[in-house]
Amino acid sequence: MDQQKNVLVIGAGIAGMKACLLLAKTGKQVYLVEKLPIIGGKTIKNEESFPNLECSTCMVAPVQQEILQHPNIKTLTLSEVEKIEGDIGNFTIIINKKARYVSDTDCIGCDMCFDPCPVSISNEWEENLMNKKAIYVPCSGSLPNVPTIDTEHCYHFNGKQECNACVEACMFEAINFDDKDEKVEIQVGAVIIATGSDIYDVSLLPQFGYGKHPGIYTSMEFERLFASNGPTSGELTIRNSEKTPKSIAIIHCVGRKEQDYCSGICCMYSAKHAHFIKHKLPDTKIYNFYRDICVPGKTYQKFVEKINDIETQMIYHNSMDELNILHNENEITIEYITGKSKKETLTVDMVILASALNPGKDFSDISKMAKIDLDKNGFFITNQEKVGSVESTKPGIFIAGCAEGPKDVQTSVIQAEAAVSGVMSCLDS
Amino acid sequence: MDETKFTPKIVGFLCNWCTYAAADLAGSSKTEISPLFSVIRVMCSSRIDHNLLLTTFFNGADGILIAGCHPGDCHYDKGNYYARRRYALLKNVMDTLKLEPERLELSWVSASEGKRYADVVNEFSKKIEQLGPNPIKKSSVF
Amino acid sequence: MKKKIGVYVCECGPNIADKVDIDKIIETVVAANNSENVEIIGDRHKLLCSAAGKVFLEEEIKNKELTHMVVAACSPRDHNSTFINVCKKTELNPYLYKMVNIREHCAWIIPDKDKATNKAIEYIQGGVARVQYQTELIEKKLDTNPDVLVIGGGIAGIEAAISLAGKKRKVTLIERSAVLGGKSVFLKELLPSQAGKEYINKRIKDLTDNENIQVFLNTEIEKIIGFLGNFEIILSDVTNKDKKTEIKTGATIVATGFGLSDVTEFSNINYDTKDEVYTSLEIEKMLSEKGKLKLSSGVPPKKVGLIHCVGRDEKKYCSQICCNYMMKIANYFKKQSAKIEVKEFYKDLCLPHKDDQKLFNLTKKNGVDLVRIKEVSLNGTKIKYSRIDGTIEENEFDMVVVAPPIIPSDSTKNLSEILDIPLDEFGFFQEAHLSTNPVGTSTDGIFIIGNAQGPRGISNSILMAHAASGQIRTQLIPGEQIVPEVKVSEVLEAFCMGCKNCIDVCCYGAIYFDEIKGISVVNEAICRGCGNCVASCPSGSIRLKHFTNEQIYQEVIEALK
Ligand SMILES: Cc1cc2nc3c(=O)[nH]c(=O)nc-3n(C[C@H](O)[C@H](O)[C@H](O)COP(=O)(O)OP(=O)(O)OC[C@H]3O[C@@H](n4cnc5c(N)ncnc54)[C@H](O)[C@@H]3O)c2cc1C
Ligand SMILES: Cc1cc2nc3c(=O)[nH]c(=O)nc-3n(C[C@H](O)[C@H](O)[C@H](O)COP(=O)(O)OP(=O)(O)OC[C@H]3O[C@@H](n4cnc5c(N)ncnc54)[C@H](O)[C@@H]3O)c2cc1C
Ligand code: SF4
Ligand code: SF4
Ligand code: SF4
Ligand code: SF4
Ligand code: SF4
Ligand code: FES
Repeated sequence: MDQQKNVLVIGAGIAGMKACLLLAKTGKQVYLVEKLPIIGGKTIKNEESFPNLECSTCMVAPVQQEILQHPNIKTLTLSEVEKIEGDIGNFTIIINKKARYVSDTDCIGCDMCFDPCPVSISNEWEENLMNKKAIYVPCSGSLPNVPTIDTEHCYHFNGKQECNACVEACMFEAINFDDKDEKVEIQVGAVIIATGSDIYDVSLLPQFGYGKHPGIYTSMEFERLFASNGPTSGELTIRNSEKTPKSIAIIHCVGRKEQDYCSGICCMYSAKHAHFIKHKLPDTKIYNFYRDICVPGKTYQKFVEKINDIETQMIYHNSMDELNILHNENEITIEYITGKSKKETLTVDMVILASALNPGKDFSDISKMAKIDLDKNGFFITNQEKVGSVESTKPGIFIAGCAEGPKDVQTSVIQAEAAVSGVMSCLDS
Repeated sequence: MDETKFTPKIVGFLCNWCTYAAADLAGSSKTEISPLFSVIRVMCSSRIDHNLLLTTFFNGADGILIAGCHPGDCHYDKGNYYARRRYALLKNVMDTLKLEPERLELSWVSASEGKRYADVVNEFSKKIEQLGPNPIKKSSVF
Repeated sequence: MKKKIGVYVCECGPNIADKVDIDKIIETVVAANNSENVEIIGDRHKLLCSAAGKVFLEEEIKNKELTHMVVAACSPRDHNSTFINVCKKTELNPYLYKMVNIREHCAWIIPDKDKATNKAIEYIQGGVARVQYQTELIEKKLDTNPDVLVIGGGIAGIEAAISLAGKKRKVTLIERSAVLGGKSVFLKELLPSQAGKEYINKRIKDLTDNENIQVFLNTEIEKIIGFLGNFEIILSDVTNKDKKTEIKTGATIVATGFGLSDVTEFSNINYDTKDEVYTSLEIEKMLSEKGKLKLSSGVPPKKVGLIHCVGRDEKKYCSQICCNYMMKIANYFKKQSAKIEVKEFYKDLCLPHKDDQKLFNLTKKNGVDLVRIKEVSLNGTKIKYSRIDGTIEENEFDMVVVAPPIIPSDSTKNLSEILDIPLDEFGFFQEAHLSTNPVGTSTDGIFIIGNAQGPRGISNSILMAHAASGQIRTQLIPGEQIVPEVKVSEVLEAFCMGCKNCIDVCCYGAIYFDEIKGISVVNEAICRGCGNCVASCPSGSIRLKHFTNEQIYQEVIEALK
């Protein structure tokens, strides 16, 4: 096979997956590198997606399945790119593929190894809202449905005590403690970076009280709280309690000022959250604290209006700096300045912070490795000499999805398909 | 017939993309589901026609569940809207056939709703058990 | 010929083996089906999806000369394709195999082993009965035409054409007006990019210089028939309707752009033609043509008011680009002279892209007075508005600029009928899926890009052009064939009454009417196999291959035994 026609895609979110599937149709060998043990990215954390409020799993699972079954796509999970050398048409890539300790050909995903494992640790993928075992899949329905071992906490690996429980439980001899990290070297002609984005760390802003009161949630935590395969099986109860909130405030634009951009999706997902709440807790009062409503394009405004007008109270406030969230054991109180410049307060049971999207922590490493530029915020920047381009500042390397800046699924997919066109241009001349 | 011994037969036509996936999720979560319920996979709820439903009733099904994607989520654009229309139409006719309309149910269950799938099926099965046997069962339609 | 049906039950380790009595299952199934015409070969295996399991099945098919195969294991969603691939390695047609799910739908949900075993028998019996009614289906390969038609010569259409054209792929671009470039040619700056209108002119030149692109000006599409890979199209000259051109392509891209709504249709906007009130596009044109922004008297304005979001409430959508371009226009005035007083009235600021905030910061720095309002009305050049704190004010301006809503291009409705592509509730072309396939349509091979799909700026329009290009280049490879879905519907000629119900319900336009025979015919290259038409046919004349009534009945009968 002509290796110069191979393609590397970094990040298995919706953007990376869509790009892989198109490229694989042409018979090219595609390598999909994902740092987590599962593919799907952020969209699989959402029960429903705006603007159609359709089930995200239904939308994404067929794509995940096709990826895993496609003969032309090699998916490397638990993997990160370590080296990118060469130029368009001829890149040498070194990938660090971490040991999974569970063989993906032998494991059939029966879950029998979880129960016997004595270690219980916080599940980051579930936004730390629940625990997992040291041998785990992030959530039920994970794809690939093959567990991995957290070696930091596993007794066998950290030596805290003897343990072999999972190995004994597995009837398929799928678990192998001797599995080793691997360096995989591949040759490709083009690269697509689709590493998505991180979510702004709201604990950097003490005014919102995040982490200080169990009733204060980030938007992603709330997505998991609502998810029927999530920590509470979709029941909206306040952290560490059985209590259902009677009133919820959604604070828009958290981190917008610090990042100096509007993320363009949080107004939409906040409306979605309001809808979630009304759907499950029809008597709960919902308040949206906003300064702008950013609902670009043909369908978004209607979505927001339909939900916000009927279901929530919209509260315009004058200044983000002067919005403070005070709390004691029982209450959360929001102190804010109204449009009429009056100071007011509102007491609620739960707060959701609609946090900005921001660049991934490893973007600067990737940019150095690939010799491509970042913008002033730290997102990957596209070739500014062209308009509407997805090419990075180095030919043969393309950027798609939230890696380029915050955006919705629609625009992520558009960029992924555009990146495919770019790849085809450089490989099929 | 001895009422206490009645074990109903219930057929579920599930669309491949959403409800069948939900049934799988219920299975992999090891949720208990009534053994009275038999799953038949079709690509889309819109494939289910009156012919199929009536034949299934005539052959002795005590209840039929049609389940597919939520409105707006159909893998084939609007198939489930057509399914809903056909369902509504047949419901109207069932009375005339002396068949309780409750024996036919339509439900939207998405791929992530494994638990809900189990609830829908188990509740429907219970309801049919209470309704008793299908009054119009014939045995030789095929 | 005697049927030889292999029935293989996967133990899935303990997952199935511990929960049902596999030996009893096999015994029962063999006993129930063995007859003069049918021989059942039943066996169990530790793990059929493993490498060893696949080899085992392959050997069984070959050595035992199976005519049919049933695999009872996990969900077909997990491993149907695994076993289809096993069949493909042998002589057995994959459509003569059936997978039965006895793990998720049996072993894992029924705790009582006897009950679970009986359930598994029922499902496998259904499979054995069904598979005998299944028929071989053969994948057909179709030749394709790689060429592309682009409708609309705005920036979206231009970029799509340039991206696709090559030695092996010719592109035809038609533009209904006499000039290329669409609305972008009037824009002095193309924010947020650094480029200006020279960029558009350069791309127009790239287009016309490209020997693989043929451009027809003053041309519209009159008729199109066909499907992905094979479209036949008739073009006609706008000035002389009888002048027609016939072309063949494999795909079509719609890039017909947008129009601007008439702002006087909104009750809060009232002015006369003599008033110094301009739409945003008129301002851009004035600047392009005259190089300066002036009142009709020829003197530059001193006090300018800009109104955002005109008609947004009525149209029920946000046009996405006006916040940006209104700030750009405010800055045009400030650049012309810092002394011009500029007041901008907005309700929300829609700055969804990471670079947009920069423009806002610049606009503030340039001294533009950005006023957040609740309500606004225009009378002549007098603007009355309520501030967010409720205070009402009124100012007179010597020039007013309004941002009208972006609406579908006036040709959209007509074109939707010609192409048979639905419109959305706002009158734009409807995409195949708003999130996961925004440039596709209900017809494979027809794409919508740029403002034809919905309001957006230039970068985003160009991205969509490239997205459509990405789809076409990976689906229509020059010299290669495509393999359409085989599990499709077919109309049984003898029974069809010609009522056309099926044509109405098919969401993909896969059924056409044969006028001569008076019956409906399914185009197999378009059909996706949902079965909706089957259920709509009053005379029962449509069969969905692999999901026929007889096949489904077999499962029903076994379920009811
Ligand atoms: C709370 C919330 C709700 C949302 N709701 C919606 C909604 O309802 N509708 C909608 O349209 N959009 C929604 N969005 C936006 C949506 O999530 C994004 O548009 C989408 O996820 C972007 O896809 P992506 O592929 O670019 O990135 P991601 O989904 O983030 O995927 C990136 C992938 O790359 C992997 N990765 C990262 N770095 C590396 C590396 N160095 N090496 C290898 N792999 C790496 C990640 O693990 C991840 O799997 C929401 C966002 C948030 C935060
Ligand atoms: C005042 C104003 C300022 C703007 N400023 C900016 C800016 O600074 N930055 C930015 O990014 N965007 C800006 N925009 C938006 C920008 O103009 C559009 O994004 C861009 O023009 C869209 O290009 P298009 O190809 O989709 O549509 P169009 O430019 O509308 O082109 C469509 C073409 O298709 C042709 N056509 C229509 N129907 C048919 C048919 N049936 N058959 C054949 N041909 C047909 C038309 O004649 C036209 O040539 C601005 C818009 C306005 C109104
Ligand atoms: S490792 Fe073994 S026990 Fe664990 S899920 Fe995989 S097959 Fe089951
Ligand atoms: S060896 Fe590690 S992963 Fe396995 S059961 Fe013990 S602690 Fe858990
Ligand atoms: S999308 Fe809405 S909430 Fe998010 S930053 Fe923009 S204005 Fe604020
Ligand atoms: S619905 Fe049936 S009878 Fe009517 S046109 Fe279609 S195939 Fe013919
Ligand atoms: S099966 Fe579906 S896609 Fe195919 S012709 Fe019938 S309605 Fe159309
Ligand atoms: S595909 Fe699920 S209802 Fe149509």
